[in-house]
Amino acid sequence: MTQTPDRAHAVAGNGGGVVSGDLDDELEPGGEPAPRAPLLRRVPWLRVAIVVGLVVAGIALAYLRSGSGVVVMQAVATGVLIGGVYGLVAMGLTLIFGVLDIVNFAHGSFLALALFLTFWLVNGHGVHPYLALAVSVPAMFLLGMLVQRGVLSGAMGKPLENQLLITLGLSLIIENALLLFFGANPRSVALPGDRGVPILGAVADLSRVLAFVGALLLAGLLFLLLQRTRLGTAIRAVAANDVGAQLAGIDTRLIYAVTFAIGTACAGAAGTLVAPLVTIEPTTGALFNIIAFVVVVLGGMGNVVGALLGGLIVGLAEQLGGLYLPGQSPLLSVFIVFVLVLFLRPQGLFRRAA
Amino acid sequence: MRKTWTTGLALALPLALAACGGSAPAGTDRADGGQSGGTIKIGSLHPLSGAAAADGQQMDNGAKLAVEAINNAGGIKSQGGAKLELLSADTQGKPEVGQSEAQRLIQAGAVGLVGTYQSAVTANVSTVAERNKVPLVIDVSSADSILAQGYKFTFRVQPSSTVLGTQGAQFLDEVAKAAGRPAKQVAIFHEQGPFGSAIRDAFKAEAEKRGMKIGPVISYDSASVSDLTTQMTTVKASGADVLMVSGYYRDGVLVAQAADTVKPGLDAVFGVANGAFDLPQFPKEVGAAGEGYFDANYHPDMTKPETQALAKLYQERYGDEIRTGAVLAYDAVRVIADALERAGSAEPEKVRDAIATVELDTLIAGDGPIKFGPTGENENATPILMQVRDGKVKQVFPADKAETAPVYPAGR
Repeated sequence: MTQTPDRAHAVAGNGGGVVSGDLDDELEPGGEPAPRAPLLRRVPWLRVAIVVGLVVAGIALAYLRSGSGVVVMQAVATGVLIGGVYGLVAMGLTLIFGVLDIVNFAHGSFLALALFLTFWLVNGHGVHPYLALAVSVPAMFLLGMLVQRGVLSGAMGKPLENQLLITLGLSLIIENALLLFFGANPRSVALPGDRGVPILGAVADLSRVLAFVGALLLAGLLFLLLQRTRLGTAIRAVAANDVGAQLAGIDTRLIYAVTFAIGTACAGAAGTLVAPLVTIEPTTGALFNIIAFVVVVLGGMGNVVGALLGGLIVGLAEQLGGLYLPGQSPLLSVFIVFVLVLFLRPQGLFRRAA
Repeated sequence: MRKTWTTGLALALPLALAACGGSAPAGTDRADGGQSGGTIKIGSLHPLSGAAAADGQQMDNGAKLAVEAINNAGGIKSQGGAKLELLSADTQGKPEVGQSEAQRLIQAGAVGLVGTYQSAVTANVSTVAERNKVPLVIDVSSADSILAQGYKFTFRVQPSSTVLGTQGAQFLDEVAKAAGRPAKQVAIFHEQGPFGSAIRDAFKAEAEKRGMKIGPVISYDSASVSDLTTQMTTVKASGADVLMVSGYYRDGVLVAQAADTVKPGLDAVFGVANGAFDLPQFPKEVGAAGEGYFDANYHPDMTKPETQALAKLYQERYGDEIRTGAVLAYDAVRVIADALERAGSAEPEKVRDAIATVELDTLIAGDGPIKFGPTGENENATPILMQVRDGKVKQVFPADKAETAPVYPAGR
């Protein structure tokens, strides 16, 4: 009885997603896994070299344009730091897409929810902002689980618009519920002992540096989870071929729920980590949503490490672009890079052509 | 797979827009005169949801308090003590929603409109007002272009961008010279929309006339900017001694955070019509980082007992500190009520004619009573200078409006 939706999804999702922690996907949809080569051999060195070369060229151009080493250094430092956070937000999104084939428009709203949860813990109960992680991550994990089982599971394998509308509706509900309960006044979370930290002539707030470090740590954890645990293997198997995974005895319903919950928990972690950096409003999540979608496509859909690198590229593009094109929206340079990548490598920077 | 995404995005973007879009039900023809059962309806159009919801809700509350005060004082006496009724509508900060909601309120019988905060929304609403011959009294929206159309039914209580930018440069010059540290080079941050650009142009013209060097000028997108540290470093490298900032709330906070991190060595951070630096929430959010920030902006005149009473009432009723927008909305409703009183009729066109000759004391610091010129600008609207002092926003200049003297330089 409960089998029906899953079978439906299994059939519809035949060419399903791929989740990978590797820089390049070895598993192709429905294809044979390639023989496992040593990690170093599996990194697409040429592509990495080209991307790094382009980034260096971008930095050099920015230097020529602005004529000030300090300004460029500052742009690079800020870009890398904010990029790590973009990467963390996008990791959750890319994971959900890779495994469940769901374009989750509520991701930004989950982040906003975590922001308000952090605000409530810090200002209402005097919890240290980073200790709030211990509450926000499990809480968002549970919420993700409930949302997937309660709302989304019925739409698995149904036409794409169904899931889109559900997640879009969820985001509207969350945003307006926050507006209703917390009001529209901007709020903030202060990090005790926050100060400027010098980085090679540039400066950055301690809270930004810590958010970046936190993002890297969580990315590492997620990578290990996907590559080195049975659960991670199961997640990757479902992403590669859910019919096959089901036949091999994997409970795909559980994997769907757990994966969605992990993705939501990533948004929760990101929300708590950025809480000291942003003005907390019900609409704050929407800011990250657009960027996260760009990062996901840039890094290759379903590629977790690609999402982290994509985040760094977007962060750098945003900051350096501000130097080439003063007076433009930071999103302009991001979208220039995005369109170029879509044109030259439509499958994303770190994903093999199917 | 890629196809899935493309279709997904193509489907979702219009959906996202539509989901937030028009909610105006088809109304009936306008009840002429707008009077039904001894009440006169006034429409309040503000962004009650979306990114500017905090300001929008304050303004709607301000309009409600004004209606309440007028009704408690006996309503419109020349019309047999007719009571006012406020019809509130949510523009969501979107021009097309504002337009359809304005149409709806007029069809529901509103004889006058107040609103709307965002210049782009106000521009659309003013077109609707003109077409339906119903007066619109703008509380907040500074873009010059709105009143440059030759519209007869649109009036503005707050100062225009030109007045704000020009006066801002004058205040900076006078305060800096009085302190013996004339501003030599002024860097500018502004949001890139019509509001920020118009302020920049007016400020730049006046500042250059007064011998200040302008540069670098850096604009940003207030909706998506996430950090201004790089821009602040550019200012530091340029050796500017003052930073002028014209923008909204969230970006104003980012400016203060960036200045606190980079320490650009400025004599002052000087807001002009800044949506953050003169709000009570600002020093609370940024703490010591915002100390000494200036803002040349329209502002409630806190030296007046009526304004203090309104601020107190607002705090009691809504548990929040009153913002300038709410006081302007309060005044805008009073302008319409005063016109209704003098017109002796609730015919929108007669109300419009009465508004054109209004002369009404205001709670906003200005050069005198609200009085509209031929284009509909309030001729006595002017900004005053405020400064964050010990975590509170204080009026500091000109001297007759000052609660305390300005501190300059306020080093950063």
